[in-house]
Amino acid sequence: MIEIQEVTKRYDRRTYALKGITASLRERVTTVIGRNGAGKTTLIRILSTQLFPTTGTATIEGLDILKETKKVREIISSIPQESQLIGILSPLEQMQLYLMARGFTASQAREESKQALDELELYDYRNAPSDTLSGGMKRKVFVAMALAAKAPVIFLDEPTTGLDPLSRIEVWSAIKRLSSKIILTTHYMEEAQELSNEVVVIDQGNIITHGAIGNLLSSFGGKMRAEKMDGEEYDIKIANVAIKYIEKERVDEFIAKGYDIKRINLDDIFLSKGVLLES
Amino acid sequence: MNPKFILYFAWYYGFYIILRGPSYLVASLSLPLTLLFMVTIFTHGTLIAYAIAGGPIAIVAANSINGAADAAFFRIQIRIQDLFVATRITSQDYMFALSLSYLVFSLPGIALYAVLGAYFKVFMLSSALQVIAVLVLLTLTISNLSFIIAGLLKHIRNVWGITAILSIIMTVLPPTFYPYTFLPQGVIYILSISPVTPAAVLIQGIVGLEPFQVSMIFILLIETVILTLLGRKFIRWRE
Repeated sequence: MIEIQEVTKRYDRRTYALKGITASLRERVTTVIGRNGAGKTTLIRILSTQLFPTTGTATIEGLDILKETKKVREIISSIPQESQLIGILSPLEQMQLYLMARGFTASQAREESKQALDELELYDYRNAPSDTLSGGMKRKVFVAMALAAKAPVIFLDEPTTGLDPLSRIEVWSAIKRLSSKIILTTHYMEEAQELSNEVVVIDQGNIITHGAIGNLLSSFGGKMRAEKMDGEEYDIKIANVAIKYIEKERVDEFIAKGYDIKRINLDDIFLSKGVLLES
Repeated sequence: MNPKFILYFAWYYGFYIILRGPSYLVASLSLPLTLLFMVTIFTHGTLIAYAIAGGPIAIVAANSINGAADAAFFRIQIRIQDLFVATRITSQDYMFALSLSYLVFSLPGIALYAVLGAYFKVFMLSSALQVIAVLVLLTLTISNLSFIIAGLLKHIRNVWGITAILSIIMTVLPPTFYPYTFLPQGVIYILSISPVTPAAVLIQGIVGLEPFQVSMIFILLIETVILTLLGRKFIRWRE
């Protein structure tokens, strides 16, 4: 379990990336969702001991990230969003270095790396210089690192950004096979819905909502989403798109008015909390 | 301390760059070899021994200061440093691994100068260990200086200019390619602000070109300690 206690992060006098976040992340897979600059990466970097919080702290499996950093680092694996491979080294070499930094022996690191690369369909590229790989392949190498690390807690910051749909499914499949606790960030609602049991929605350094996906969706009370370009009736309007949450009985009425009807999904949790309204 | 990680990293990042990017190696040798040529021509060969003795120093210093570009690139651009922060290695392991990789990368240049030194009877086998010790200390010292520079930078684009300037200042101004006795002792102490100066004075003393100055051992050691401590502080391991 991860307990976050009043974590703030201030980069300069005025810029707060996180404004006193408190949460208990209990589920095996938790997704942190938010717009660019919402504070997702800052939170992940603080939890994975890469960044000091300005105030507050957190515990990971009972270990304090500030007081027991060394022990925390023994149980976590964290794949930063912006990390790129060293172009001149091969995926296998870089995975080996990463796993050795996590305490594996050289031969263990080599074997685990090969296995993880194979799992993500990258085995044939294991010895190729990394700068010859496509962007998606490079991203998958980092996911392979997290898989091979076999850490009890894994942080994945936007693991599928830049991947084609097929590669994304491969990564999802690999993540699903993991038994570790996983905290991931993403922009993709379907990814959060596909992979996680719990979501944390962050906006402007605050948690907007947090809970099990089922509970969050059920808060809509079985409503449907009706949306129409330049529609006159709306609860939320984004650009010219009018969005109205309606009871099932009113579906025909809104279809007659030219609205498209959609099932409620994680997008609506975002929309209903006003996260996108300010964009 | 994770010696296996350090050795593997140094080998992969030092040796494989030589194999896979030989142009980098040629580039790193170009300045000292050019200076060797110039010194030989302009002094009619009288100072060739100094230029040969200073060559390995220039190579080690230039490669280590160029490490600022690597360290900044790893931290700011490709975020590899972040990847390693959340592991069992310490900032010291990471810094030592990078420093050692610069030394590995310098080995072909050092070997070339060793051959030249043997041919011109500048380097003797008996003094090899002392020369190597000075080169290792110099690598550590200047690598740490490069970590400080990398840690202070906010944008990667600044690093290329800074390392180019420092590389010239650190390899050409100190008595790397000329006798340190050309300079008043006071100037030597002032130039000792660059660790290349005590290293160059020591090497000239070790190979018997000039009198050996014991004080330079202490200066180099003190600079190594100070820059190592500052390097640890500035590398921004956990920001």
